[in-house]
Amino acid sequence: MFLLWLRVAAICYGVATACALPAVLYNLRGWARIFMVASITGFVFHFVSLAEMLGEAHRWVPVGTREMQSLLALLIVGAFLLIWIRFRAVSFGLFALPLAFLLVVFPAIGLERYTFGSPGARNGWIIVHVCALLAAYAALIFSLLASLLYLVQEKRLKDRNNPSFLAWLPPLETMNQIGHGALVVGFYCMTVGLLIGSLLAQESVGPAYFRDPKVLLSFGMWILYIGMLLVRQSTGLRGRRAVYWSSLVFLVMLSVWAANVFSSVHRFSVP
Amino acid sequence: MTTDKANWNTGNLLLFGVNHKTAPVELREQIAIQAERLSEATRSLAQTPGVREAMILSTCNRVELVVYPEGAPPDLMGFFNQFFAIDHSALRPHVYEYREQDAVRHLFRVASSLDSMVVGEPQILGQVKQAYAVAKSVGGAKSGLDKLLQNAFNVAKRVRNETQIGSSSVSIASIAVDLAEKIFGSLEGKKVFLIGAGKMSELAARHLVERGARSIFVANRTLERAVRLATEFGGNVVPFDDLYTSVDQADIVITSTGSLEHIFRPEHGARFIHLRRNRPMFFIDIAVPRDVDPEMNRVEGIFLYDIDDLQSVAAANQTDRAKEALAAEAIITAEVERYLKQLSILDAVPIIRNLQQAAETMRQSELRKAEAGRLRDLSDDQWTAVDALTRAMMNKFLHPTLQAIKAAAAEGDVAKLESYRATFDPNRAAAYIKSHPLSAGLSSVIESASPSDRPVEGTAPEQDS
Repeated sequence: MFLLWLRVAAICYGVATACALPAVLYNLRGWARIFMVASITGFVFHFVSLAEMLGEAHRWVPVGTREMQSLLALLIVGAFLLIWIRFRAVSFGLFALPLAFLLVVFPAIGLERYTFGSPGARNGWIIVHVCALLAAYAALIFSLLASLLYLVQEKRLKDRNNPSFLAWLPPLETMNQIGHGALVVGFYCMTVGLLIGSLLAQESVGPAYFRDPKVLLSFGMWILYIGMLLVRQSTGLRGRRAVYWSSLVFLVMLSVWAANVFSSVHRFSVP
Repeated sequence: MTTDKANWNTGNLLLFGVNHKTAPVELREQIAIQAERLSEATRSLAQTPGVREAMILSTCNRVELVVYPEGAPPDLMGFFNQFFAIDHSALRPHVYEYREQDAVRHLFRVASSLDSMVVGEPQILGQVKQAYAVAKSVGGAKSGLDKLLQNAFNVAKRVRNETQIGSSSVSIASIAVDLAEKIFGSLEGKKVFLIGAGKMSELAARHLVERGARSIFVANRTLERAVRLATEFGGNVVPFDDLYTSVDQADIVITSTGSLEHIFRPEHGARFIHLRRNRPMFFIDIAVPRDVDPEMNRVEGIFLYDIDDLQSVAAANQTDRAKEALAAEAIITAEVERYLKQLSILDAVPIIRNLQQAAETMRQSELRKAEAGRLRDLSDDQWTAVDALTRAMMNKFLHPTLQAIKAAAAEGDVAKLESYRATFDPNRAAAYIKSHPLSAGLSSVIESASPSDRPVEGTAPEQDS
């Protein structure tokens, strides 16, 4: 029965993850309400699931990677809820819930390692994983480009020089919106890509996939990405500092790309 | 391509008027026609003796009469005198008059805004269209002006599309708006703060409001003026003392106070940007001495333009427009030539003349044969009767063809007209006449009964233009 509760908790965390971005970045009250309800509901089911699982096992210490992952996710969500109760700060949820979802989703699949029904299904997910991550990289490059053009236009306006070959540059606000919009789209693509990638990795190498440098760097980039979105939204970051942030994430992206060399689970090969 | 002016037939187009280059504003305002009186004036001009088609273009910078006369040029100075009760001697030194090709060129230049006070301004085309619409509505514009004006509109459109003549602003207010749009994109919903209630800041604010800006705040040391301006824009008055706590709400700040010291310094700008969470602000400082410390432009997110900056942008844009005007003039030259060539193609008079000449040649040829044959014994009276009979038959036979040629010309059917032109080639007719000379007796009879003495309705070439 505990597996059912864990699955319900995973679904709740998934819903909360989907609602996190509009709730936190755009302060949309409706989304924030769904986000909090899903987070609390998920936490309750998660707690019940863990308690029931340990009770059935007649022990109070989690054993094995899956139980550890589940407990860690519960503690992360619990910490977030405590912060929320104390400070009413929803922002941390942007990090906490996706992470909890990622930690819970594999234990919720079952006690055994998840395997795809057929090689075709696996290949399909690989294609989605590759496309989603490439789209995320493209969005990030686009965002960086928009930020650089923002700088050029800003300098042009500040210096009051008006070379005709730069007359095509869009207004500053437009470029800021393009940059931000590309980041948001890229974030969704990256999240989807990483989730699918994690599923694929744990299928091939089991729980050890989380120790792979490629996977670790990918999640590092993902956290940095969220950080950049959060900072951009909360401070209205634009111009030079936005370029610095985008450049930093871009460098991490390059290092993630380069990490293929050291990765045991990630090789560019024909599926 | 060279233009053979003698070959063009513009129907004796006449353009007569005054503009900002030839007449002072005191005179222009005496003869300017208000929009509500334009119909009446155009109708009156169209009914002036000797005027076939008429249009009046009246703007703050020009009053021009565009006329197709019926024959001799009408007394357009007399029209001015009568309609505006203005003295000839006061007006005459300032009047210009263009005819035919020059009139076409002038009208094309006016419609394309090359003759405007601010070259490239877009309003003039709308004003020409309005003048044409009025002329059309009162029956002043017919086929001649229709063709001319449609071409003028197309030329103006081509100039707009193929040159950058209207792409950059040259007035301070519109440059301010352009810059604001380069920063904010759309100005829809943007907040504007007016500090000081000068004329230029009011004008700039008006431009911004026209482009969608809203929430006008006004702060002025004299409260009454602030209230007046705020009322005019439907905005709010902000006490001058609250300036530093409320300016950060505005996206665009226009300052024009008489302060001898800077009102805003970089530390203010940094605070505003912090409060606005890095959203940019645009300061337009049109005060002298300046209200905003130039160093504030260094603050990230603050864009500052003072009056000199705006004027230097205006000067640069005017230079650009002057360059573009050269390209536009080349387009006008080409378009005038094209239009005149098109008119010559559509001119039906030579075709009709050739047709009549060819028919007349054939008639004479048949008469000659008859004179040499069985009609050799006819008396002069009898020859006169035969001549009249054959001429009447010829004219009746030609009548439907002549009508068709005239219809093709009116419809602008170039293909049909070219076909008629090739069929009734004047060289062929001339060669035929040379090789079949008339006898002396018959020539005298034909000459004494010339077609002009006995015109047949609808066939005289002079009436077919």
